[in-house]
Amino acid sequence: RCHLTGSTAASPTSIDPEHRTAVALPVAAIKSLLGVIQRSKATTMMGLQEDLRGATEEMMTFATESPGSLQLLGGRSHIALASGCELFMKYVTRAFLELPDFAACIAQVLERGERFAGISLAARDRIAEVGQAFIQDGQTVLTHGWSRVVSNLLVKAAEHRHFSIVVLEGRPDAAGAKAAKVYADAGIPTTVVLDSAMACAMESADLVIVGAEGVVENGGIVNKMGTYGLGIAARELGKPFYVAAESYKFARLYPLNQSDLPPMGPAAKLNFVDTASWEMTGGLVGKAKAPVNTDKDGKVDASSVPGVVQFKPNQIKVKNPPCDYTPAKYITLLFTDLGVLTPSAVSDELIRLYQ
Amino acid sequence: MQYASGTVRGGNARARAMLRAFKQVIRDYEPPAAAGNNSNAAASSGGRPPAASRSQKYDIRHDLDHRIIKPAFQYWTTQCRPHSVSMGNAFTFLKLAVAALDRDMSLAEVQEVLVETIDAYIHERIDLADEAISKHASSKIVAGDVILTYGCSNVVEVLLSDAAREKGVDSFRVIVVDSRPLLEGRALVGRLAEAGIECTYILLNALSYVMMREVTKVFLGASALMSDGSVLSRVGTAGVALMARSNNIPVLVCCETYKISNRVQLESITGNEMGNPDDVVSDGCAMDGAGGSSEGGGDDGSSSGGAQQTKSIISNWRTVPNLKVLNLLYDLSPAEFVSGIITEMGILPATSVAVLLREMNPQDTN
Repeated sequence: RCHLTGSTAASPTSIDPEHRTAVALPVAAIKSLLGVIQRSKATTMMGLQEDLRGATEEMMTFATESPGSLQLLGGRSHIALASGCELFMKYVTRAFLELPDFAACIAQVLERGERFAGISLAARDRIAEVGQAFIQDGQTVLTHGWSRVVSNLLVKAAEHRHFSIVVLEGRPDAAGAKAAKVYADAGIPTTVVLDSAMACAMESADLVIVGAEGVVENGGIVNKMGTYGLGIAARELGKPFYVAAESYKFARLYPLNQSDLPPMGPAAKLNFVDTASWEMTGGLVGKAKAPVNTDKDGKVDASSVPGVVQFKPNQIKVKNPPCDYTPAKYITLLFTDLGVLTPSAVSDELIRLYQ
Repeated sequence: MQYASGTVRGGNARARAMLRAFKQVIRDYEPPAAAGNNSNAAASSGGRPPAASRSQKYDIRHDLDHRIIKPAFQYWTTQCRPHSVSMGNAFTFLKLAVAALDRDMSLAEVQEVLVETIDAYIHERIDLADEAISKHASSKIVAGDVILTYGCSNVVEVLLSDAAREKGVDSFRVIVVDSRPLLEGRALVGRLAEAGIECTYILLNALSYVMMREVTKVFLGASALMSDGSVLSRVGTAGVALMARSNNIPVLVCCETYKISNRVQLESITGNEMGNPDDVVSDGCAMDGAGGSSEGGGDDGSSSGGAQQTKSIISNWRTVPNLKVLNLLYDLSPAEFVSGIITEMGILPATSVAVLLREMNPQDTN
């Protein structure tokens, strides 16, 4: 558990200037699983798998249902967490098939596992390396959501080329605002637009790059709400749509449509506010026009901010799923640590990984 | 004969029946040097007399393959009915099994091993595969679904019955779409209704009405899966898939891996099979002998007493020089119409069939 909460160093409330080294949640989970292996008293592969499965379930429950889960997942889905753990379990099983001697197998798994965090960071660099070539001088890149993979790619590309970025604001967690700060600090000309301006902004964009919470079996992706619309607009206007994602995000899911996604835990509460976006914990990103009241926990009382609309309890229904599903046909290419893949190649990789 | 008359229909049924027949052939097999009675073997191989000569190097595998199995298959294919892809793949498996036998095995051992191998094939590649497909499909059926299927597919029937048992007969509805001249859907809808599932039965011409208003998912069977992901299935399937696609309704094709063909087919006509053109021309509604129907009688005063079919105006099509009647049995649904293919390995996108083929047959990769 401390591994998981420790990774909130890159939590929504602060822009970590060393965001580059912040550990992704799935990587922290894998470290926890390695710890489980080290402490496990199992003497057979079956026993060890039991321990690992139990630990994974506990982690998933903690991540999706515990009170702090909103902060932990940052309003995103647990898909990458689940797929990362499942791939790790598969890897452990396969290592055992190659090295039937239990003790030797465990030693190898631990040794390789230690390198996994490093591999994950290296994955981001590899993705930046392969993706850079697709951005040319003078182009405008449209992006959505906050993704360390994408920001690494764009910041690295800016070292060699001149281009500008348009960021969607990213309600309700102001993900776009966070991303815009990072790009502006890196010296890239950045513009922020409303989420609803995505189709309009598409006209003057040259390409779209987004990250992914999970890459599903048919080559589609699950990502922050709004990505699906972006994909449709891009295809309609003939702009390439690229996804940057590490291969541990390849999940064994096969969504048929939006309603076929797995449940994603508690939805963030929507505050209807007239000013700039609010973060889910109540911190301020934009400026309030008048002094605001805070309660004893330091949380801002939304009703004290001008322009706020307040409803009576149960007066209306609010739906705020964190993620949507973008089918493969809207995706041009995926930049992964396995190289540049077409959406149909994702399934081929998954067949091989889960053989 | 059951093949030719159409009593045995459907990819799975035909493959099972063929393998069962071959098991019998193998049990009845006697080597050529055996004195006297080869009549059993001769009869099952379609009346072809066994070769009289006995070569010095008698190899049971060679004999079995060349004298019995291959001629039998050829006879069925040319005299009775062209083989389906499922039969073809099963036959290839059988030949490989024969070739893989140890050459020093005794006759009794050979027979036992082959019979066991055939049983294992049927059990794993058809029975267990259908169970696995049913389980994967069940994860895609949710309460309130309106599921559409076409014709009569063995595996779709299995998965719908299983889902009804597991989730309750009230959790979803089924619409069965049927078409002339085979009207295979009637048997399916009868069995599903008997199982307590709420069913609707329509003909193909009513498809757009239900598709736009009610259907949430489409489950289809397949006769074969081409390596580019296109689906060979009962004629009419392509239309159902197209209609679903254009209404954004997911189309799931259920197909066991033994039906995957390494052919690529670009259109529906090549390699298709033709049925009896007279079936198309006649009025199918009189088939059950429900005589006295007024639609058929009409102005020309022909009565429909008993089981007599009403003659249609083009029933003399053979005498008309520029008129042809076409009764195709299969059509090809392009991969773009298919949202996912459910095999025993899981749900795959249509583009991954080639990879599956490669993984299953590593010995064929160059």
